[in-house]
Amino acid sequence: MCNANGDQPIRLKRRPIAQSIENLDQLLSLEQGRMSRDVFWDKDIYEQEMERIFARCWLFVAHESQIPKAGDYVSTYMGEDNVLIVRQKDGSIKGFLNTCPHRGNKVCFADLGNARQFVCNYHGWAFGIDGGLKGMHASETYEAAGMDKSEHGLHPVAHVDSYRGLIFATLDPDAPSLADYLGDMRYYLDAVFDMDEGGTEFIGGCVKSVIQCNWKYASENFVGDILHAGWTHDSGAKAMVGGPVAEVHKTPEQSYHVNFNGHGWEFNQDIVGNCATLGEKELLKYLYVLQPKVAERLGELRSKMIGAISSCTLFPNTSFLPGQNTFRTWHPRGPGQIELHTWTFVNKKAPQEIKDMWRKGTMMTFSPSGVFEMDDGENWEYSTRSNAGFVTRQQDLYLGLGHDTRVEDTDLPGNVYQGQINEANQRAFYQRWLDLMKADSWKTVPQRDVPKMKEGV
Amino acid sequence: MNAKTTLPEIPVDAETQRRVEQFLFREARLLDNERWDDWLALMAEDIHYWMPTMENRRRADKNGTYAIDRGALYNDNLRDLTRRVTRFKQPTAWAEDPATRHAHVVSGIEVYQGGQAGEFIVHSTFVNYRSRVEKDNDLLVGRREDVLRADGDGFRLARRKIIITQSVLMAKNLNTFL
Amino acid sequence: MSQPILLLRKADLEAGKVRKVDVNGCALAVYNLDGTFYATQDGCTHATASLSEGEIVDDECIACPVHDGTFHIPTGQPMSFPCEHAIRTYKVIEDGEDVLVDLDQESDAAADAI
Repeated sequence: MCNANGDQPIRLKRRPIAQSIENLDQLLSLEQGRMSRDVFWDKDIYEQEMERIFARCWLFVAHESQIPKAGDYVSTYMGEDNVLIVRQKDGSIKGFLNTCPHRGNKVCFADLGNARQFVCNYHGWAFGIDGGLKGMHASETYEAAGMDKSEHGLHPVAHVDSYRGLIFATLDPDAPSLADYLGDMRYYLDAVFDMDEGGTEFIGGCVKSVIQCNWKYASENFVGDILHAGWTHDSGAKAMVGGPVAEVHKTPEQSYHVNFNGHGWEFNQDIVGNCATLGEKELLKYLYVLQPKVAERLGELRSKMIGAISSCTLFPNTSFLPGQNTFRTWHPRGPGQIELHTWTFVNKKAPQEIKDMWRKGTMMTFSPSGVFEMDDGENWEYSTRSNAGFVTRQQDLYLGLGHDTRVEDTDLPGNVYQGQINEANQRAFYQRWLDLMKADSWKTVPQRDVPKMKEGV
Repeated sequence: MNAKTTLPEIPVDAETQRRVEQFLFREARLLDNERWDDWLALMAEDIHYWMPTMENRRRADKNGTYAIDRGALYNDNLRDLTRRVTRFKQPTAWAEDPATRHAHVVSGIEVYQGGQAGEFIVHSTFVNYRSRVEKDNDLLVGRREDVLRADGDGFRLARRKIIITQSVLMAKNLNTFL
Repeated sequence: MSQPILLLRKADLEAGKVRKVDVNGCALAVYNLDGTFYATQDGCTHATASLSEGEIVDDECIACPVHDGTFHIPTGQPMSFPCEHAIRTYKVIEDGEDVLVDLDQESDAAADAI
């Protein structure tokens, strides 16, 4: 855990919250399994999302393994805000807006690297890795003007924290703790990011692409939509395993939807179902050998999730696939575009040849050239673009699967639903979206979900 | 991967140059016409077909723009390429139906002696334009470094490195070979 | 030659490190390059910056902590943008465990370079 930005002077100004769009409630009729298409198209809704979701929520910004040494940094996005995530000399992590406080130019043009300082190309303002303004070209002119350097450092993000190697940041000083924000979803995250005592790492760099779709189509797909796989990904499955996608809709007793605070995970208990689509027997063997050890540490249920047919979205825009080991963030770029950043994650203690197989496997399946992802982008693009039609976008959409599948009598954390062919997580995702969109501040966001896990586990 | 760049650039005779150019032009036509199996038949058994992703790093960063153990859109052997072709041929390859229209433009072909007898190092530039349905138009421009191996009257492709200019792929997918 | 002034004890500055030492109101950066000691002015000639807060790079250069320009420590010569003007060097005298400086003389390497 690290919260290095906590002791910084507040240098992140925020305007008072803008007036909300009226009648947001009318966009969603989740009990009836209906929703408006406006949420995918309307520019004012998008602007409100920037303020009330992306400038408010905890967003994934980096994996600890990407920045092991002091001065290591990655450049990434929180919504459309470009930020630098930087490892400090004391081992903590800080985040800053990637913009010079002088005339606004971007201070770092590299995607990643190691820096002793960030120097703006425009007027030579130089910032330490702690964000402090250290000096400027022609510094004596500023000294003559009486400028106080301590007031002009890089703008720090409000908070940085991490969970099981995943670093998150928020631009809202009043955000709840990361532990509260993730809540009971942490229980399930451990199945993948605490699979063995070595933890995980990102390997192989980042693959970036642009999809002309609304960010929520991607997030809602990973939050709970295994249903599409059997149809959309038939060609990919035939290519990789020589047969169709498993018919998980026929065995709902083996699978679940779980969600908490808008995060959602749909999963089977087949241990290796996702992993099998990479077509590498050695990877299956690796997971089967690991599974009993995971069962000892985390229990039987979570041990069966380690590479199972499953997908997860952490609200709002970060997703991953256990077994296929792709980790991704869908950065919004207006209501009709996203920039997709994807990484490969592996267990740190896995043998090198196993890591290499996963690195190759994620590229082969879930990259823009991947045989599965290939068909996702087009679906999301045209689900978005069809709403250009003035009358078209006045027609509702359906998300009613799995009403009455709630499992009440369970010790499992989160809201639990029977059967992974379900739209319970999608409904929970949009409920959280609506709660945040309606709330003027974190204080007025309703806490619908009752945590079973303790704070700060 | 870059061993060939350390070799002296010994040009080949005009006839070999012409035959290599014909090979690459024909390959481009096979891809334009979605003749996937005929295209696969041009690959050597030990093909390494590699298209790394580009990282923006400072010039002083010794890690460089791309590397074999980092991101890639293709890092394929023959089995991998065959799997991709298998997908293209499925009736459920939705992003190929209606068909994508391809234009593979190849130019700037330089042919040099390879490190082994019967091998040739071939540099070329390419423009790839894809159009789908009404107005999905995607443009990729880049450079390739190939190793071609003499095979009977023709050649097989033994190595290909594809370097594109984009670091963020400005497209939803890459449903072609380059 | 003026009276050499004690800068520090050798054991006080490990190899590969730089430290600021004030001598008669004059701020010096003192370096230990693999067991050999050097002294230069501490202020960067480009912008307001204390070189002793920088890092030693490429074995014998000091990188300014502000704009990352570099100077060659033994001669004081500017090595990279934005540094254009040499920093003053001082003659260092090693006497047993003591490191002393002569504020009236250039370093040997700087003197040789002229």
